[in-house]
Amino acid sequence: MKHKQFRIGKLVLPYVMILPAVALLAVFTFYPLFNMVYLSFFKYDMLTPKKFVGWDNYYQLFFVNIDFIAALKNTVFYTLGVIVFMISLALIFALWLQRSTWVNAIVQRFMFLPHICAMLTVAMVFQWLMDDRGLFNAVLSVFNLPALRWLNSSHTALLSILIVAIWKGVGYYALILLSSVKSIPPELLEAADLDDAGKLRTFFKITLPMLSPQLFFLLITITINSFKVFDAVRIMTGGGPGNSSDVLVFYIYRQAFNYSKYGLSAAAGTILLLILLVMTVIYFRILGKRVHYQ
Amino acid sequence: MGEIVFKNICKSFGETKVIEDLNLTIRDGEFTVLVGASGCGKTTLLRMIAGIGPATSGELYIDGEEISDVPPGKRGIAMVFQNYAIYPTMTVKGNIEFGLKNRKIPKAERETLIAEVAETVGLTPYLKRKPSELSGGQRQRVALARAMVKKPKVFLLDEPLSNLDAKLRVSMRTELIELHHRLKTTFVYVTHDQTEAMSMADTIVLMDRGKIQQMASPMEIYNDPNNVFTAQFIGTPPMNIQKMKDGKHQLGYRAEKVQLSETKPDLLYARKAVVLTREMLGSETIYKLQLEEADDGSGKTAVMAKTPNLMFEVDSRVYIGVDRKDLYYFDEEGRRLRGDGISPSLEKMTAEGGES
Ligand SMILES: Nc1ncnc2c1ncn2[C@@H]1O[C@H](COP(=O)(O)OP(=O)(O)OP(=O)(O)O)[C@@H](O)[C@H]1O
Ligand SMILES: [Mg+2]
Repeated sequence: MKHKQFRIGKLVLPYVMILPAVALLAVFTFYPLFNMVYLSFFKYDMLTPKKFVGWDNYYQLFFVNIDFIAALKNTVFYTLGVIVFMISLALIFALWLQRSTWVNAIVQRFMFLPHICAMLTVAMVFQWLMDDRGLFNAVLSVFNLPALRWLNSSHTALLSILIVAIWKGVGYYALILLSSVKSIPPELLEAADLDDAGKLRTFFKITLPMLSPQLFFLLITITINSFKVFDAVRIMTGGGPGNSSDVLVFYIYRQAFNYSKYGLSAAAGTILLLILLVMTVIYFRILGKRVHYQ
Repeated sequence: MGEIVFKNICKSFGETKVIEDLNLTIRDGEFTVLVGASGCGKTTLLRMIAGIGPATSGELYIDGEEISDVPPGKRGIAMVFQNYAIYPTMTVKGNIEFGLKNRKIPKAERETLIAEVAETVGLTPYLKRKPSELSGGQRQRVALARAMVKKPKVFLLDEPLSNLDAKLRVSMRTELIELHHRLKTTFVYVTHDQTEAMSMADTIVLMDRGKIQQMASPMEIYNDPNNVFTAQFIGTPPMNIQKMKDGKHQLGYRAEKVQLSETKPDLLYARKAVVLTREMLGSETIYKLQLEEADDGSGKTAVMAKTPNLMFEVDSRVYIGVDRKDLYYFDEEGRRLRGDGISPSLEKMTAEGGES
């Protein structure tokens, strides 16, 4: 009898131990998530009672308010840009830093610094640097290049934000790649050398596949983080000029907190959630197979 | 073809000199075994031949051609690494094929070569697998197949059997010897196991701390060692070495040449001893014996004897004797003395050692 009780205790104990974490998740993640999807079918401004409107919010987003589509396009463009540049730059830096010299050790630390700065500060500093009479234009003029209007031009506003994001993130991602570049056994590269593989072939056939788990991880985290870009836009451009640098999360934020259209905002949020879900599934389906796990 | 010549080769890693002024000729078509204790520079030597760890100074020739400037992939060399270094992201087939693809060998020809080599090493059923799904022995075969398929003029093998279990090791040994008979190319095989060296080599190169101690056939290196190091490295148990009465010269004899008897034998070398341990191996017995007093007066000393005679009990008193022709003399530095180097006074000392 006593024995049995002991076993039941053993069965229950793990659940008891994860209960606090699950409770927190339930309150702060799952409940808001479901509530958001639920709200997206209502017209709600927090003052008057909720009113069920069916798919109307979604209809509004896609067929009435053109600015949602603009924000969505910008976000996709921005995400693609960050993925391409962030991953290639991180890879280049990782390969460059793989030799352990004291110079590299210092560079590595400096590259990591932006990661620990708050986006708020970084955004404000860049806003200042990218001012019409800021440092960036001063440098351009030294080389006799025409000044750019950076944040003030609809052509370059989103690009400027992309630059900030890459500057802030690349050191961190390079560090992740660096640790796995360093863990590639040197004999593998020597074996490739003996197999008469050129530098490029060695890179594409040995190094890159060996890094595939980390690259895959980078791809997913960068995609998710870029789709959720917000603070830099909020501080540096406010989505402007026009809505040339408007992005999804900033759109959601505006609908909710500036215009009190909580239903519409929830619908946009639900779409963001769906996009991320679909992207992740696609990544795992298509690329997951090509990732080599040790 | 595949003769390798080292000429005044030196190698340092930063401040530490690993190999100093090494001269060595590895003969074409032979199975040469580099043997030596861990850290003596065997891998370093192989990596020089392969071109992936170039010498600090000196010249290296393959077939009379100086190859310091020839990149590793163009040297006609294949290497099996100490830890195999097979590409984990590729299938077995991909591993074998990689070198061929790099040399732009047409697909049809590649397929034939791969099928051939896979059959030879018994990997045909595993071609589609990833290395992580193979056993240690199978991985070793992949490394071997990857080397063989290139039809190199020189094979470099760095302790390829050290990760295998005893049984597999013995069977792989025979397979490698057969492979060498079939291909008749130069094999340079590294090991720190002297039995492996003895059983496989045409020529053994024995190294110690970056220096070649002796280079000879297994029989010669066993029967006619050049120095104390060689005498003790080759053979199990190692040769018994005793300081002589003058405290300078050293006398050596193999355990298997020691004769045990109850009465004093009529041999040049005869000493009283006590049996410490007895280890029966079946056909032979290994005794550890203790001499009451070493020849140079430094007290008790132990010697090993290996004989078919198993009648001596532990703690029993016996005589050990060694025939004159089975004695080896070495000078103070451990160099072997031969022929005229063995003066009558040395032999007299040997005989007198037993008197006291
Ligand atoms: N990259 C390196 N940097 C510094 N020292 C090294 C390096 N590689 C080897 N050494 C040193 O050179 C010596 C010879 O090394 P090597 O790898 O040739 O030994 P080995 O004979 O192959 O030993 P083992 O049987 O253990 O494989 C060792 O003392 C080692 O510490
Ligand atoms: Mg080694």
